[in-house]
Amino acid sequence: MDAPVPETAAPPTRDRCATGIQGLDDILGGGIPRGNMILVSGSVGTGKTTLTLEFLVRGAERGEKSLFLSVTEASDKLIQNLSTFEFFRTDLVTSGSLVFVDVPVIYDRLGLDREEMTAEDLDLLVLTIQGLVTELGVKRVVLDSLTSVCYRIRKEERIRDFMLKLSQTLSALDCTTLLVSEVAQSPGRLSLYGVEEAIVDGVILLGNTRRQGDIIRVLQVIKMRGTSHSRAQYVIELTPIGMLMAPHLKGGHQEGG
Amino acid sequence: MSGARPIFDLPEVDPGLSGVLPSGWLGLLRGMSGSGVSLLAKQFAHAGLGASPVHYYSTYERTDDVERAFRDFRWTPKGLEVINLSDEYYERILRRDLEVSRARETGISYRDLADHPTVPLRRRTYNLANRILADLAGMNGPFRLVLDSLDFFLEVLDPSEVLMLARQTRHHAQNLGGQVLLVIQPDIHERRTSGLLEDMADLVVDLQGAEPPRDDRRTLLVRKVRNHPERTQAHAARVTEHGLALFAPEDRDPPATTG
Repeated sequence: MDAPVPETAAPPTRDRCATGIQGLDDILGGGIPRGNMILVSGSVGTGKTTLTLEFLVRGAERGEKSLFLSVTEASDKLIQNLSTFEFFRTDLVTSGSLVFVDVPVIYDRLGLDREEMTAEDLDLLVLTIQGLVTELGVKRVVLDSLTSVCYRIRKEERIRDFMLKLSQTLSALDCTTLLVSEVAQSPGRLSLYGVEEAIVDGVILLGNTRRQGDIIRVLQVIKMRGTSHSRAQYVIELTPIGMLMAPHLKGGHQEGG
Repeated sequence: MSGARPIFDLPEVDPGLSGVLPSGWLGLLRGMSGSGVSLLAKQFAHAGLGASPVHYYSTYERTDDVERAFRDFRWTPKGLEVINLSDEYYERILRRDLEVSRARETGISYRDLADHPTVPLRRRTYNLANRILADLAGMNGPFRLVLDSLDFFLEVLDPSEVLMLARQTRHHAQNLGGQVLLVIQPDIHERRTSGLLEDMADLVVDLQGAEPPRDDRRTLLVRKVRNHPERTQAHAARVTEHGLALFAPEDRDPPATTG
């Protein structure tokens, strides 16, 4: 005979990866469900890179090794830019808690210099990222940007395949991943190719909006598997101490999909 | 002046060419592997030493081997500039290919990336044709140039690039009074490419060994001398201790041979 299930049993909750960003963790009920792959989407100048870098810095401070994979901007320059933020600590880099890798160097070492990457090339890229995460014991990864990688993939089914493999690989390593997605500012647009948001576990949308003649930055969690979350739009401010959030419009409360 | 120098250091051939070739010209020296074309190319280079800069582009031999071949035939390589394209190609292209193969097979570690954190651009931009054209652009007077061999270029570059290189080289030779000898194997490249190269050349010389190979006897054929079809000729040749020498086929006592 089956044992009776207590009516008061709480649903199992997933371990959270706290972003450390004020307000965002509150929206997400403590953070991103660990092992999720999230698309951080937005047009230029909306704060995508800053948000993802703060996510890594906060993680490194908590003892979670963090890896930033930079496709378009040299790491040296990124670190220089980061040093203007008070939340950034150089010692995290020198101690190896926060690691920067330039993806073009990976391309070069693997000979991925064809204009369009093949399925084999993409498998090698995933394997290399897997190797780095395993070797360094990384728990947080940022790829900035997914769009730049996808420029050299082109075929939708191959983009889908690449993202699925990356997601499964990093999730199996208990790694929480943010993928930066560059999109032109247009309503409803979450990614350049339109397939990315379907694969990922969550989407954080950043944008600009007008308020009383000013342009303000806003953030909205569109989707987050494994947790309930607010879908309200929040005003964000990029300050020297990090990203600050405040409610913009009164929004509803959306269950995770 | 380079024009005053012998061409191949072959008294039976040079006078017939010196008078009719322009001061700047491009020649093709054709021969199968083992025919002695590399030796004749070195003899051409040696014959030009002392009068103008002599550049010997080697694609298969090491620099030491080129210089040793000079000494073997009692030629002094003084003043010869050997540019070893096979070494350069290995350093810039093949070694990287090997590294890439290893990385793809065994994976790359963080240390691999951290030790070389930037992408060296020069490796990506290496092009054999540009390499030679850059040298040519730096020349400002008569020169003698040997490219041994063009086969290597046709192996790694598109034929159109090789033809462009040959045209540019000929143009520089014409402008500066240069003498250029391109070594190539016959019958292994596309007919169109070979035909265009022959058409471009002011001088075409074939060196043939006996088939099947028997001894050091060779046949030297001057196939083309621009505007002077009457100068085409055939000679019996033999490798001597001083290089290739010609003799009349009916000679019972040809020049002494090496060895």
